[in-house]
Amino acid sequence: MQQYLIRRILLNFFVLFLVATMVFGALRIDSSSVISRRAGGCFAGGTDPALIEQCRAVARAELGLVDSIPKQYVTFIWDTVRLDLGTSSTGNKDAVIGEIYERAGPSIELGLLQIVFALAIALPIGVISAVKQDGWVDYLLRFFSILALGIPVFVLAVLVILITSRYAEGTFLADWLGPHVEYVGPFDDPVQNFKIMFAPAVLAGLGTGAIIMRFLRSQMLEVLRQDYVRTAWAKGLKERVVIVRHALKNAFIPVLTIVGILLGNIVSGNVILEFIYGIPGLGNYIVLNISQNPNFPAVQGVVIVVAAVLVFVNLLIDITYGWLDPRIRYS
Amino acid sequence: MDEAQAIPSAEEAQAVPPRASGLLRGILKFIRTKPLGAFGFLLIIFLFAMTLGTPKAEFGAPELPDRPFGFELGEPWMQRYDEEALFTTQSGFVAAYESPSGQHWMGTDQSGRDTWSRVVNGARRSLFVGIWALVVATLIGAGIGIVSGFWGGWFDLISQRFMDALQSFPALVALILIVTINPTIPLINDEGDQATLIMAAIALGLVGIPGVQRITRGVVLSVREQQYVEAARVIGATDVRIMWGYILPNIFSSIIVVFSTGIGVVILAEAALTFIVPDKLPQGTSWGFMLSDSYASLGDAPWPGIFSAAAISVSVLGFNLAGDALRDVLDPRLRQR
Repeated sequence: MQQYLIRRILLNFFVLFLVATMVFGALRIDSSSVISRRAGGCFAGGTDPALIEQCRAVARAELGLVDSIPKQYVTFIWDTVRLDLGTSSTGNKDAVIGEIYERAGPSIELGLLQIVFALAIALPIGVISAVKQDGWVDYLLRFFSILALGIPVFVLAVLVILITSRYAEGTFLADWLGPHVEYVGPFDDPVQNFKIMFAPAVLAGLGTGAIIMRFLRSQMLEVLRQDYVRTAWAKGLKERVVIVRHALKNAFIPVLTIVGILLGNIVSGNVILEFIYGIPGLGNYIVLNISQNPNFPAVQGVVIVVAAVLVFVNLLIDITYGWLDPRIRYS
Repeated sequence: MDEAQAIPSAEEAQAVPPRASGLLRGILKFIRTKPLGAFGFLLIIFLFAMTLGTPKAEFGAPELPDRPFGFELGEPWMQRYDEEALFTTQSGFVAAYESPSGQHWMGTDQSGRDTWSRVVNGARRSLFVGIWALVVATLIGAGIGIVSGFWGGWFDLISQRFMDALQSFPALVALILIVTINPTIPLINDEGDQATLIMAAIALGLVGIPGVQRITRGVVLSVREQQYVEAARVIGATDVRIMWGYILPNIFSSIIVVFSTGIGVVILAEAALTFIVPDKLPQGTSWGFMLSDSYASLGDAPWPGIFSAAAISVSVLGFNLAGDALRDVLDPRLRQR
């Protein structure tokens, strides 16, 4: 186990190194066009070559592209190892790590609420549709899960906003389902914060809930045919006890994988919902910093942080997995 | 097969049904056992039917949705008006934001264009991007998957870590990054503010590589141990020949399944990308643009938004259902993954 852990941790660091290299390379594949676009605003259509060259030099310095590529790379990797992600190349030149820290909160809150909603939907539905297999309840619930899987989350979000703003303007529905102009933190005003988070969390939860539900149903069907469940029935236990304590408990372990994937993506999983609902999370931050004027240090920083969370949460999930299911042994 | 080899007498020839009806029977059986999958195929056929138009003999690089495989397609037969035609009301105003009616089946948008015609034209772009992205993803992903699954060892170890690294990039972030940086690549991408459509398709394909690679590698790992591979090795086949002639044909069904499910994912991702960074992608009729235009006019013009959303959802649903059914029929091994 100890050896396994050490190997996994070393491999994780190797993966992070690859991620850092890739994002560094991707940003520098064609940096000259980025520089030209950035400098374009500075000389504003002027044709004086000296001025253009000066503007390009400023842009290059802002993006941190002055040194030769190998030198930039070594500095970048060394800074990253020391957990220094540099300073933002736009705005007031804040430290990237501080900005990421500030924006991780709303993303994590949204991700956790999403998991809560997904489980609240998936657990009862998955269990009921497995117990009533091939009954009309099962077909109805499965139909809804296919629908929830088929309709993309962001399309659903746009539709919800379109329809509420057209037909429910000013009612409590628009308050709960529509986007809010101003974001309020959970510690300033929990009720208002919940109102803001409610719609994106439910919408994101619907999609993942449908996945969990399908998975849970097939697991339940398998477990319900096991000998120990038959024994439980034969002992004369109540239906609720057999299903919840004997079957669900065992069927739930593989479901944790999906929850694990969600946890791994918690800081970046809802880029588009954050964008639509104006939640100042990491997803929104990265869209802003890539699409308008590529902010190289911020992009590099966010990608590395997101990847680090992902690989280490995955490791944690694997360890929990082995702990919950003693049949799994790592070597 | 045995029946076909024997020379049938006149009577037997009557008894043996012709091959076409065997195919028909297969289709009927598929519809009976997989009704949802058949429904998915119906949706896909309808989607392809929307793109059909009179082909012209003008050849060039496949860079535009109107030129999907190099030849030029004319206006789609299913459209009722030109997609850019502007309509006016009888009193001469722009017929914007109209609700569905006999004249405009799906209403009109903010500049008075017919929504149905735009939905029909948008299908070309979605399928174009979807198919080319999957061609890129399967060629590279399956290639790496076969080699790393077959050879194992250090190549496998390194390529797996590369795939891990690729997969820990958030997909949407990687996509926005590629179309924003918009690298100038000869023949594929000109210098400019907007990535060309084929560039967007390649970006979407690159993001899909790790998924394809993982699935292919898994299947190759099980196929590798089969006796016919061992037999091929005994007769002295080289590694390359085994991979090309023995392994590839046997994992082909898995690749088809991955391909069909993947197109739905790509169509969705393209719409999302168009919605988030509309100014970085080439203009044109697209479901993503329709959705974001409708969203920008909040509530005034819900119809283009609703119908483009429906088009995106229906095509994603179609490819998912068809892919699921194909997987059950062609390759039950994949169901576990």
